[in-house]
Amino acid sequence: MEALWVVIPTGQRASGEWIDDTLRRRAEEAGLLPRTPLAGRFPRQRVEVVRDADPTEEVNALFEARGWTDGLPIVPPTLARVEALCATTARSASDVLGEVEPLRGEATVEKIAANAVMAGCRPEHFPVVLAAVECVLDPAFNLRGVQTTDENVAPLVIVSGPLAARLGINAGFGALGPGWRANAAIGRALRLVMLNLGGGWPGAVSLAGLGQPGRYTLCLAEREDSPWPPLRVELGYQAGQSTVTVLRAETAINITGGLAEVVSVMASAASAFTMLWEGRVAVVVAPFVARRLAAEGLGKDDVRRRLHAEARVQAGDWKRWWLRQTVRQWPAWIDEAAGTLPVVKSADDITVVVAGADLAIPQLAYFPSWGFPPCRVTREITPPIDLVG
Amino acid sequence: MLRASAVAEEAGVPSVSLTCEGFIGQAATTATGLGLPGLPVAIVPGHVDVQTVEELRANVLAVTVEGVVQGLTSPPEKASDIEEPEPGEVVFEGTYDEINRFYYENGWSDGLPIVPPTAARVQEFLKLAGRDADEELGVLLPDKRSATIRTVAINGVMAGCRPEYMPVLIALIEAMADPRYGVEHSGNTPGAETLIVVNGPVIRRLGFNYQQGALRDGFQANTAIGRFWRLYLRNVAGFLPHKTDKGTFGNTWRVVLAENEDALRQMGWTTIAQDAGVAPGESAVTISRFTGGTVLASVFGTNPEQMIPYLADGITRLVAWEVIFTVGMSVGAQRPLLVLSPILAQTLARGGLSKQDVQRRLFEHARIPAWKFERYIGEWTNLAPGRPTLRDLVRRGRAAPIFAQSDDPERLVPVVEKAEDIMVAVSGDPLRTNAYVFAHNGILGFPVTKPIRFPAR
Repeated sequence: MEALWVVIPTGQRASGEWIDDTLRRRAEEAGLLPRTPLAGRFPRQRVEVVRDADPTEEVNALFEARGWTDGLPIVPPTLARVEALCATTARSASDVLGEVEPLRGEATVEKIAANAVMAGCRPEHFPVVLAAVECVLDPAFNLRGVQTTDENVAPLVIVSGPLAARLGINAGFGALGPGWRANAAIGRALRLVMLNLGGGWPGAVSLAGLGQPGRYTLCLAEREDSPWPPLRVELGYQAGQSTVTVLRAETAINITGGLAEVVSVMASAASAFTMLWEGRVAVVVAPFVARRLAAEGLGKDDVRRRLHAEARVQAGDWKRWWLRQTVRQWPAWIDEAAGTLPVVKSADDITVVVAGADLAIPQLAYFPSWGFPPCRVTREITPPIDLVG
Repeated sequence: MLRASAVAEEAGVPSVSLTCEGFIGQAATTATGLGLPGLPVAIVPGHVDVQTVEELRANVLAVTVEGVVQGLTSPPEKASDIEEPEPGEVVFEGTYDEINRFYYENGWSDGLPIVPPTAARVQEFLKLAGRDADEELGVLLPDKRSATIRTVAINGVMAGCRPEYMPVLIALIEAMADPRYGVEHSGNTPGAETLIVVNGPVIRRLGFNYQQGALRDGFQANTAIGRFWRLYLRNVAGFLPHKTDKGTFGNTWRVVLAENEDALRQMGWTTIAQDAGVAPGESAVTISRFTGGTVLASVFGTNPEQMIPYLADGITRLVAWEVIFTVGMSVGAQRPLLVLSPILAQTLARGGLSKQDVQRRLFEHARIPAWKFERYIGEWTNLAPGRPTLRDLVRRGRAAPIFAQSDDPERLVPVVEKAEDIMVAVSGDPLRTNAYVFAHNGILGFPVTKPIRFPAR
């Protein structure tokens, strides 16, 4: 019999209660216990010893049945692995970053590390995960709303700065696709934190009707060879710093073409919730397109201004939208009488990031937003301790 | 603060507790122990003691005010039960090394190896308890966990006690649960530590060291029972460093102090237990939290007149900011302890002094200038906010009249309220002229004495 000493990754509230007790009740009410038959059935302590001929398999079976995974196999959060992640930060393992809504498990450094290990993070990825968790804990992110809404929103994690390349966070080929451990694991770690510390269990607490693939991971880096100033510099950081920016994204919509095509997608029902909540959207621009626009003399501000000015919804179409017919109260700047309606309140509500492969293909992506308040939360990444200097 | 808020909330009065940033975690756990996990707290950034009035004002306006409004306008949520292992449940099976690692990783040990509390060992202890395993001795904050005979046995096993210590361990936990002691304060920032004093026939019966090296490790009863105390605070009361235990420095447990009752009897002096009302011939434990102690070495003299000034000076040197427990915060609750080696006590007794006479002499000599007393509580610390004079405190009923017999700042005032507040014990190397003095933590660990009851054989 082999033994694995694993850190219990689920949320404990400041009061000492475990969120799993609430989750088990919710799962029972929602008829979801077949998915998590062992919900709430675990030893109430920091560390558990799992013995089995194949303990990794057993940890996976247990954690899945307890509702602690996203459905994919996890890496067992052994003490040694968790400690290796914690060693990359000067913060103490018991430091509390905040309470993860809605069930308010405490986000201690150690609990976040356990979830990051499960997600497949390498130790050096951990500071990025910590910064991303800090972002979603900012009240401006409205994590409670994101976790409980019937909409399919997910956090979009954008890494900007020199650390991205050093940590292998992909900004190039397939930046939003599979194949890069850092992108896959960092985004997944944030989701596991939301599931295991916040209790955002689908169907029980999270009422998103369909979900979206971005709920497994949605993390990319910004290219450093962009013709434009990087996101972190636009947001007031130094070029030498590295940051994580988190937006609330309803989905990623692929667009091939240029700004005109982006305008056409933005000015559609895809932006309905963005309009309702004064949301902040993101547009990812391929390097090929960015260079072309820059050659035309357009800076990022110009791109934002053009998108804001041209992406207008026809009032006639808007009136037929389900959301328009369901919701009476719209922001004042949505003025039907004007005939056409802007999608975002101001040009600054559009985040422009250059990423993707350097191909001669005009690829872009549009991320409409959901929820209140308008948000674009950024935190600096403290470099992992063994990478300093 | 939170305890006052809890009382207010239970009476239907909205409350909010102002809490310095470093205490938020402790506030949350304390609130849970009080049965109101959502008890409103408004954060004051940093610590008020090192902020100027302007900084404090800016911090309060920027952060605290919103918390106050929110706290007063939202009702705190009620507690729900937190699931824990059943009494007697086996939580782990493994080798000695595995068990030790497991207990350590889960925060159940103090970092030293424990004796695994197997069912068989616990049963041996329970057999000598003479009481039902599930009998409750009290409910301990901050975790609000029930203190039972069974958990006394389990932690006793872990600490390295012998089964026959059980009656002592039970008496200790009865004392811990006594509201006069104030176990809920065990995590406060000065990090004071309990000293257990043991008296009566139990000293010989269990082999406590009461002679040379009385406060040294090396004697199982003294050492293991001292360790048991801290393990119980950790595992049952729920005091954990980095969480509920906010001791800035803290220190490790104190080994149990046993008095030299042969010497006491010979001099006709009372024991610590007898001073607390325990009949001669009975065994008892006395617990008290002390902020610190020091040795008074090489006391020189052949009579009380020569010896008392040095001993009294030792008390005034130790009882400094702690005079806030003499006046102000908790009037008359400062209970320093002077431990005399037998030869010192015998020299004083030969000079015609009873223990009570010694206390009176110490009280007369252990005095400091009024200006210094006032600085300790109102200038060098802010423990008595607003820099009140001793006269102000007497007027407000927060100090005994003895502290305001004149206006002269140079007048000498005592550091305790009454002579009998100075506890005197006799222990240590019988032939060495050294003493030991402890300053006391007031109501945050007030002396409590409990009789030790041995079950009938």
